[in-house]
Amino acid sequence: MLENPTPPITAPARSLRIGVAGPVGTGKSSLIATVCRALASELRLGVITNDIYTDEDARFLRSAGVLEPERIRAVETGACPHTAIRDDITVNLLAVEDLERDFNPLDVVLIESGGDNLTATFSPALVDAQIFVLDVAGGGDVARKGGPGIARADLLVVNKTDLAPYVGVDVPTMVADAEMAREGRQVLALSRTDPASVDILADWVRGLLALHRAGTHTPQDPGPMAPHFHADEEGGPGVMHTHDEPEHSHYEQSAHSHP
Amino acid sequence: MTAPMTAVSLSVVPTTMAPPVLSSATIAMMLADARLPVGGHVHSAGLEPALAGGMSPAQVPGYMLGRARTVTLVEAGTAAVARHVALHEAEPDVFGSAQRMALALGRVDRAWSARTPSRAVRDVSRSLARGYQRLARTLWTQHPAVIASGLVSTPPSPTLSRPVLLGIIAAAAGLDAESLVRLVVYDDAQTVAAAMLKLEPLDPATPPGWVLAACAAAEEFVVDLAALTSADAIPAWGAPESEGWAEAHSRTTQRLFRA
Repeated sequence: MLENPTPPITAPARSLRIGVAGPVGTGKSSLIATVCRALASELRLGVITNDIYTDEDARFLRSAGVLEPERIRAVETGACPHTAIRDDITVNLLAVEDLERDFNPLDVVLIESGGDNLTATFSPALVDAQIFVLDVAGGGDVARKGGPGIARADLLVVNKTDLAPYVGVDVPTMVADAEMAREGRQVLALSRTDPASVDILADWVRGLLALHRAGTHTPQDPGPMAPHFHADEEGGPGVMHTHDEPEHSHYEQSAHSHP
Repeated sequence: MTAPMTAVSLSVVPTTMAPPVLSSATIAMMLADARLPVGGHVHSAGLEPALAGGMSPAQVPGYMLGRARTVTLVEAGTAAVARHVALHEAEPDVFGSAQRMALALGRVDRAWSARTPSRAVRDVSRSLARGYQRLARTLWTQHPAVIASGLVSTPPSPTLSRPVLLGIIAAAAGLDAESLVRLVVYDDAQTVAAAMLKLEPLDPATPPGWVLAACAAAEEFVVDLAALTSADAIPAWGAPESEGWAEAHSRTTQRLFRA
């Protein structure tokens, strides 16, 4: 054994990595642009996009002018956007590491998933926290459908609240539904035209970064399949369950809808 | 060169450092498995560029045969020589052996580069290699060739190519040379076949027959390629049209696959 202690390892600054997931068209790119606009003057930011067709989102973000174009990078996903953020995160991990190396130090890297269905969530090996994005135009009932992202992402955003009057959605009801699905986890009704909601989003990022830097933040996995609700045919209370109950059978269920 | 087909007794498998004794077949199966998380799912072995470049889907079986008897043999020969170097230079107790190994691997890599005229193809190979390197550094941490690969293969300096990394992994994991050559041939064909089902869907039972045909077309070269020990002896067959497609693809913004 060597007498002298192991010298301290000066690891390169590891950014806070935030994933942004949610169905296509709910405003993930717009949300990232909003975060960049709000925080680019105080934090060193980078963005990785995972588009179905390569760099559509990256080009949108570059053209939005919210960040230097070089800080926004796109990766291909081989038509498997859910794989690239969940079970084989290699290309994203390498892209994040490259970005952190090229712009060292970075405070926050935002990783946008390709617009996928309600079951796509990030691996905690790729991101420290994740935002799941729904929008009012997708229908007021989507939040009730649940799914891992809706139920257990670190933050659920109900986006485009400014459109609610035009699509016949009651925002407080949708938020209340979402809060019930999330058992109290945070829900944010967001519109880029509503400065107060943007402030809340920016504060959420700042708070997370403080926890990350303090070393007190532990990434949580929303899981591949969240506990969800089976309505009872007889109008009874229904049953809440997860899919890792081996004895459970679906055949007896009547109103079972997987996200 | 065949690794011993020793049955593994779990009670004698070392828990640290030395790799457990595994058969070549097991290593080959793992490396050939599309589920191996090294980022392979974002690659199509040139198929998407070819189809975008005007090649008819009906020509895909011929495309696979053509690759199996040209560029794939360059890859396979490179991998075989890299494996030889990784085994031969891995003599213990030689001062500076890691540096010497790094230089020798670098020579193999340059020989591959000289035989791969398309910069786009080279860049893609090096990016895919990083996924393998990540795997190697996790599974075969202490192998001299894996350590040496880190000396020449740490971004932002140029990363070793995929066939060189495969050769290193073959040496570290105990994959025999002929299996390594067949792995390279199979993997290229299977990558095309899997991508085909996403790009031009057809009866999924059909492409596997093309894969076997491609493997059969390369079989007569396997023994000679596996016996290669010198970078100078790596074959230099090319596929210029395919390289042109790859170059064009690297400049497009509408891609499902990296290449």
